[in-house]
Amino acid sequence: MIRFENVRKKYGDTVILDNLSFNIEPGEFVVLIGPSGCGKTTTLKSINRLITPDQGKIFIDGQDISEVNPVKLRRKIGYVIQQIGLFPNMTIEQNIGIVPKRLKYSKSKIKEITRELMEMVDMSFEDYAHKYPSELSGGQQQRIGVLRALAASPPIVLMDEPFGALDPLTRSTLQDEIVKLHKKLKKTIVFVTHDMNEALDLADKIIFMEKGEIVQMATPDEMLAHPASALIRDFMRKSSSSADSSDLTAADFMKTKFFSVYKKRSIRECTDLMARQHIDSLLIKNDDNTYAGIVTIRAIKKHGKSSGSIGDITPHVNITSNISENAKESFDKLYATDDNYVVVLEDDNTIAGIITKTGMATAMADTLWGDMQ
Amino acid sequence: MSFFNTYGERLIDAIQIHLFYVLSSVFIGFVIALILGIILSRIPRYANIIMPLLSIFQTIPGIVFIGVLFLYLGMIPATVIIALAVYAIFPVLKNTYTGLMDVKPEYIEAAKGCGMSPIQTLLEVELPLATPSIITGLRMSTIYTVSWSVLAAMIGLGGLGEFIYIGIASNNNALILLGAIPAALMAIVLSLLIDGLRRLIVPKGLRSLK
Repeated sequence: MIRFENVRKKYGDTVILDNLSFNIEPGEFVVLIGPSGCGKTTTLKSINRLITPDQGKIFIDGQDISEVNPVKLRRKIGYVIQQIGLFPNMTIEQNIGIVPKRLKYSKSKIKEITRELMEMVDMSFEDYAHKYPSELSGGQQQRIGVLRALAASPPIVLMDEPFGALDPLTRSTLQDEIVKLHKKLKKTIVFVTHDMNEALDLADKIIFMEKGEIVQMATPDEMLAHPASALIRDFMRKSSSSADSSDLTAADFMKTKFFSVYKKRSIRECTDLMARQHIDSLLIKNDDNTYAGIVTIRAIKKHGKSSGSIGDITPHVNITSNISENAKESFDKLYATDDNYVVVLEDDNTIAGIITKTGMATAMADTLWGDMQ
Repeated sequence: MSFFNTYGERLIDAIQIHLFYVLSSVFIGFVIALILGIILSRIPRYANIIMPLLSIFQTIPGIVFIGVLFLYLGMIPATVIIALAVYAIFPVLKNTYTGLMDVKPEYIEAAKGCGMSPIQTLLEVELPLATPSIITGLRMSTIYTVSWSVLAAMIGLGGLGEFIYIGIASNNNALILLGAIPAALMAIVLSLLIDGLRRLIVPKGLRSLK
């Protein structure tokens, strides 16, 4: 168990940690989050004594860490940093073996541990153990960074924004892996991030900090349901709209199966088409294929005549979206309108597809519960 | 051919003496510089004052320095070696210091976080990462020292400088070249050897970074 008791830290006149007290239970995955300068990293680094508090005490399993030799203390605490920090002059195997070597494990034991760990993240020992960090991709390097922290099986692992510098795809893969590793190895993990999505995904418990104080310490569910301050709510909103769904565009959710007719088509043909396809509106195209509007069955009834072409009826100009528009904006439009769909246009104003309310519901379900297809 | 008959043996002697001056003074200078560089890199605040002072020292002409030492120590090889070693220090010192200071803080933090003691961090992380820079300094020192060793002849202590001085005094171009060409070749050969050494001791993982 890690216990903070009235921990304070100042740099000059700036208070970094303001009378911090909390407990972390063994085996918990705790995420420290908050705006920059809130003291989350300082909190983390004071656990392995990279930073020494001015006042207060930190205990690990009942022992005051200020009384433990920092070098020895750190060998029992894994540490992963954002810049990865694999030693470029050492092979992958040597990097992973750093702490076990200090703890005087035998060479064969170190090799065995390295092999086991690498298998856990699906990196083959034969292919990678003798490579140098510069030969690996960023994601692979950080996997090794995590393994290096785990090598001497420390009960506690500290992670300082470990995935912050990785691309979103690699980040989410590594997040999955770290969750798996945590379940399997049951370590106490203290994890710093500024990404609320990451916190919600990974944490057993989230500690939200601001100006060196804890604003809220709660499980992800609790924090989602009852955020303790406006700032936390803001953080959650920002991250939920900024994360993965932000890259999705209208094109990702539109249906490409739709019915469109040229203006010169006769009204009778159009009503037949609608009846056959069980639809209540048609997309109308100009002769150059650009979008003109939609005509609903109600508009046709109101028009009264079944002779003539559909172009005689003034098309209702529906809400449109550009194909590259952010999906969320398209959804907002759809939400605001009375129409049943938003028409998605190509850059040259031809029709690309439509986003229906059903499509929107499916998309939302996907982001909430994973891919439904 | 008679030229070589006359001077052949003296040339070989001179080359040996010259090489001895170079190797011993570079060795001494290198060891001192390495230690000093490491110490200064631990106290960068003071190093910012000390390094410029040392570089002023570097601008004192070699002739003056050897002359002054000569007054105190007399005509012994130590005079030359001490003087040359002092000059060999600076390039290595400067490169050791900058090499160590250029080690990215993330590696040092990672090393600390892994429970490496300051000595282990120095020996296993910082120095290996600084080797390319340190060896560049060594190469510079060596090449400089080969040319500075010519000054040994000034106080009658032999080496290739002897031919050059006699050549100049007697207006004999052949003699000047007899001193200058081997000295130039020595500089080239030594720097090639150091390049070989670099390949041997710069950690493999750093090479692809260059």
